[in-house]
Amino acid sequence: MAEPILKVNSVTKCFGGLTAVNNVSFEVQQGEIIGLLGPNGAGKTTLFNVISGFYAPTNGTIIFKGLDISGKPPYTLADRGIGRTFQVVKPFAGLSVLENIIIASFLRYPKRKDAERHAWKILENTGLADRADVSAASLTLAGRKRLEIGKALALEPTFLLLDEVVAGLNPTEADKTVELILELKKQGMTILIVEHIMRVIMNISDRLVVLNFGEKIAEGTAAEVARNPLVIEAYLGEAAA
Amino acid sequence: MKDKSIRWGLPILLVLIALPAVVQDTFFLRVITEAIMWIGLALAFDVLAGYTGYLNFGHGAFFGLGAYTTAILMMQAHWPFALALPMGGILAGVGALVAGLPTLRLKGAYFAIATWALSRAVQQMALIMDITGGPDGMRLPSFLNPQFFYYLMLAIVAVTFALLWYLLECSPFGLKLKAIREDDQGAMALGLNPTKLKMQAFILSAVPTGVLGGVYAYWITFIDPASTLGDLVSDQALVMVVFGGMGTLIGPVIGALLIFAFKTLFWAYLSDFQLLYLIILGAVIALSVVFIPNGLWGTLRGARSNRKDEAKKAGSSAAKLSQSEGE
Repeated sequence: MAEPILKVNSVTKCFGGLTAVNNVSFEVQQGEIIGLLGPNGAGKTTLFNVISGFYAPTNGTIIFKGLDISGKPPYTLADRGIGRTFQVVKPFAGLSVLENIIIASFLRYPKRKDAERHAWKILENTGLADRADVSAASLTLAGRKRLEIGKALALEPTFLLLDEVVAGLNPTEADKTVELILELKKQGMTILIVEHIMRVIMNISDRLVVLNFGEKIAEGTAAEVARNPLVIEAYLGEAAA
Repeated sequence: MKDKSIRWGLPILLVLIALPAVVQDTFFLRVITEAIMWIGLALAFDVLAGYTGYLNFGHGAFFGLGAYTTAILMMQAHWPFALALPMGGILAGVGALVAGLPTLRLKGAYFAIATWALSRAVQQMALIMDITGGPDGMRLPSFLNPQFFYYLMLAIVAVTFALLWYLLECSPFGLKLKAIREDDQGAMALGLNPTKLKMQAFILSAVPTGVLGGVYAYWITFIDPASTLGDLVSDQALVMVVFGGMGTLIGPVIGALLIFAFKTLFWAYLSDFQLLYLIILGAVIALSVVFIPNGLWGTLRGARSNRKDEAKKAGSSAAKLSQSEGE
C-alpha cells in the first residue's frame, strides 16, 4: 500500500480532566473517503479540530504527506492543503457570498482579480452562483453549508475535512450535497467526513472509523462496522448487542 | 468603484486646495483645519473599529505619543519640524506594536478596556515625567502661518485617505480584515493569520494618528496631558465613526464633519450651555446606535442597495415568468 496521506498516531486530547479523544490511531489513503462515526460527544469534532490545527494534541502526532503537522496553526495547514468546514457554520455574515469565497481564494490567488475569477468558478461548482451578491447572513441553512464547502474548496485542498455538511438539510438538498462529494472524490480528493445520517455516510464512505467516549472502537467497511457488536452497543445500548 | 472615487475625490480636493484663497478669515480657516484633522483621526480609528472589529479606546494615546515625540524632539533635541514629525508617526507605530502584542489577544469589551487602561497609563507617565513637562505641558515655538497648517493637515489627511482607500477597498487586505472581524476562527481555517493582520491594522491606524498629533502640537503650540492624552480624542473619534458609519471610509468623513460642525456651532453660539453639548451628543449617539446602527452612510447605502436588489429580483422573476410561458 502507498504511503498514506494522513496518519493519526495515538492522538489524545484532554481538556482539563476530560479526555475528549483518547489514543486514537488511523490512516487515510490518497483518494479515499473515510467516514468518522460515533454517538454525540464521542469526540469527532475534537478530533477534527486537532487534525485541522485548532487544537494541539495533548499526546500523539499527526503526519500529513509525510510531515509532522501536530500543533501547527490552522492557517499553515490550509496552506499545506487541508481544507475544513465547521459543524456550526462560520459564514462571514456581514459580507456577500462572493466576498466570502474571494477571501478563501486569496490563499492560492493573492491578486484580487484572479481571486474573484477563481471564486466564480467555485460558486458555479457549488451551485451558489445565483446568490453571489446576497449577504451570507441571508442564506438558508442549506446555503450556508454549501458556502462552507465552497470556502474550503476555494483553498484548493488535497485533503478535505467535512463536519456534518448534510445534517439539517432536507432530502433533496442532502442528495445534492452527496452528489457534490462524490464528484469531488471522482476528481481525486481525499475526504474525512463526520456525519450522523447513516444513509449518507454508509453509502459514500470507503471505510469507517467509529469513536465512542473518545476511543476508537471499530474500523472497516460499512458492512463490517455495522455488524460489529461494540458499534451496535454504542448506538443501541447493551441489550441490543 | 475606482472611477467613481476619482470623479468625486478630485473636485473635492481641488475645492479644498483653492479654499484658503477664498477664505480670508483666519478663524474660519482654523475651524476647517481642525475639521480636516478630525476626519483623519476618525478614518484612522475606523481601520481598527470598523474594518477589523476592535474598538480602540487608546486611540488618543497615539495622538499624544505623536504630539509629545514631535514636541520633545523639537524642544530638547532641536530637531527641525520636518524631521520630528515623521518620528512622531514612527513612534506611534512602534507604540502600537508594543501595545498590540498583549491587547490584540483580547476581544470585544476586553480589548476596549485594556487599551483604555493603557492610554491612562501613558497619560500618567506624561504627568510625572520631567521630559514632558508634567502637568504643565510643553510649549513649542510659535509658527503663525494658518495656511501652512491648513495645507499640511490637508495633505496628510488626503494621503491617509488615498492609502486607506487603496489598502482597504481595493487590495485584498481590506477583505481579509473584514473576515477577521466577522469570524476569526473561520478566517484562520482559510489560511489567514489573524495575529499578523490585526497587528498590521493596528499600526496602520496608529501611524497617521501620531503624525496628526505632531502637526497638532506645532499648530496649537501648546500640549499638555489633558488635551492630547485625555479620553477626548478616542471618544470623539468613536462618536464620529459610529454616527457616520463604521467599516466604510466615507462614513467617518461624514460623521467627523457633522459632529465637528455641531460642536463648533454650539461652542460659538451657546457656549454658556457647554454641559448641554455633551448631553445632546450622548443622546445623538444613543439614538443613532439604536435607530441607525450602520451609521448615516451605512444606512443610506443599505437603502440604495436594497432598492437595487429589489429591482434585480423583480427583473429575474419577470425573466423566469416569460421563460415558463415559453415552455
